Amino acid sequence: MMTIATFDRTPPPFFRQGPSALTKLILCSVFAVFLMVADNRFVLTRQLRAAVATALHYPQMALALPVEAFRDADRYWSGLDRALAGEEAAHRALALQSERSLRVERLEAENGRLRALLGLRPALNVRSQAAEVLYEAADPYTRKVVIDRGSLHGIVAGSPVVNESGVLGQVTRLFPLSSEVTLLTDKDAAIPVLNTRTQGRSAAFGSAATIGALELRFMAGNADVRPGDMLTTSGVDGVYPAGMPVATVASVDRKSDAGFARIVLTPAARNDAVRHVLVIEPVGQQLPPHPEAAASAPAETASKAAARRGPKAARAMANPG
Amino acid sequence: MTRRPAMPNDQLLLPVNPVFVGLTLAAALALNLLPLGRMTAMPDWVALVLAFWNVHQSRRVGVGVAFAFGLLMDVHDSAVLGQHALAYTLLGFFAVTMHRRLTWFGVPGQALQVLPLFLASHLVSLLVRLVAGGSFPGWAMFAAPLLEAALWPLATWLLLAPQRRPPDPDEHRPI
Repeated sequence: MMTIATFDRTPPPFFRQGPSALTKLILCSVFAVFLMVADNRFVLTRQLRAAVATALHYPQMALALPVEAFRDADRYWSGLDRALAGEEAAHRALALQSERSLRVERLEAENGRLRALLGLRPALNVRSQAAEVLYEAADPYTRKVVIDRGSLHGIVAGSPVVNESGVLGQVTRLFPLSSEVTLLTDKDAAIPVLNTRTQGRSAAFGSAATIGALELRFMAGNADVRPGDMLTTSGVDGVYPAGMPVATVASVDRKSDAGFARIVLTPAARNDAVRHVLVIEPVGQQLPPHPEAAASAPAETASKAAARRGPKAARAMANPG
Repeated sequence: MTRRPAMPNDQLLLPVNPVFVGLTLAAALALNLLPLGRMTAMPDWVALVLAFWNVHQSRRVGVGVAFAFGLLMDVHDSAVLGQHALAYTLLGFFAVTMHRRLTWFGVPGQALQVLPLFLASHLVSLLVRLVAGGSFPGWAMFAAPLLEAALWPLATWLLLAPQRRPPDPDEHRPI
C-alpha cells in the first residue's frame, strides 16, 4: 500500500490565507442560487451566458474535429458499397423531388394568381439558411442541440429549425456565434399541429413519460385520431410555416381513467444523427405589425417579437376548443 | 500536531507545478466538451479532477475555481445557470474539509470516501433540475458517481506522476 502526502517547499503563509473555505462556500452557493433564480425568472443572465458561450465556441469547434474525424474514418472503412448505395438513394430522392418541385412552382404561380383574383394577401415566402449541428447538449434533463449559426449570422430567437423530413424544433437561446435549439421532444416544447386527415387542430407537446416522443394533450376520449395520422404545422402560431410534417400518431389509448385520450406521436424528423439543418425565419416577421404596437413602438426589433412568440405562446394556444 | 508514521513504501512527493494543475483542469474540461451526445452515465471529468486537486492542493485549487468551472459547464450543457456551479462548489468544499483525513488512507480507501461526495454533487444537480421543472433522466445517472469514484485510483496515478521523485536512496539521503 502506498500512501501519499504532498509537501511544498514553501511553508503555508501564517496570516494571509484569504477567506476560509466555509466563507467561500457560502458566497459561491448564494451566488449560484441567485444565478439559478435569475436564469429562470429574469433575463439578467443572458449577457453572461452569451459571453461564456462565445468564449467556449472555438474550443467546442476544435473538439468536434476529432470526433467527426473518427466518425468519418468509421464511414470510410465501412466500404464503398454503402457509399454507392447512399448516392443512388440520394439520386432517386432528387429525381422524385425535382418532379415534385416543378409541379410546386406551377402550383405556386397558379395559387398566386387565384389569390390575386380573390383579393387575398399573397402567401408568405419562407426564407431560410443552412446550419450545422455542433453538438447535442449533454444535459440529460432537456432535449437540446447547439447549431453553429448565431445572431451574427442573422438568426433570430424563436426561428423554427427543420431538416429534410420535418420540423426539429425552435431556436430558444441566441448567442453571437451559435444558438441553442430546443427539440420538439423536450418536455417544455409545444407546437400547434393540424391533422391532415380530419383537418382538426390541436397542440403537440414533448412527452415527459416517453423519451424521444411527442404527445397530443387535451384531446377528448372520443376524438377522431387514429394511429398513422399525419400531423403537420397548422401555421396559426406566426412561427412555423404551414404544412410542414411534424409527427405521425403512434398509438391512441382511450381507456385511460382521465377524460382525455393518451395519444403518443413519433416525430417526423428523427433527432438523433442529424447534422445539417435549415433555420427558417419566423413567418410572423413577414406579417405587418399590430396597429397599436406599430403606433407605440415602431422601432421594436423583430427578434424580440419572435422571442415572445416562443414555446410559451404555443402553449397558450393549447386549448383549441 | 501529530505526524503520520512513516510507512515502508511511503514516497515523498515533489512540489506541484501549478501549470500542470491548470493543464489537467483544462484537459478535463476538454473531455467534458467532446461532442459525444447525451450519455447519462458519462463520468464528469471536471468534477473528478476538481475534487482531486481540492484534496491534494487545497491551497491552490479551492472553492472559487470549482465555482468558475461550474459556470463553464452550465453554459456548455445549456443547463440552468448555476446548477453545476453549486454542485462543484459543494464538492470542492467537502473535498477541502476532508483533505487532511483522506491522505491517511490508501488509494482504494480514498475512492470509497470520495464516492459520497460525487453522489452528493449529482444529487444536488438532480434536485435543482427537478425544482426547475426538468424530468427525471433515468437511473443510469447514478452510474456516473460510481464511475467517478472508480476512476479515483487512475486519477491518483496520473495526476501525481510528475510529482513522484524517482527513489534513489543513498547513505546521505536515507529516504
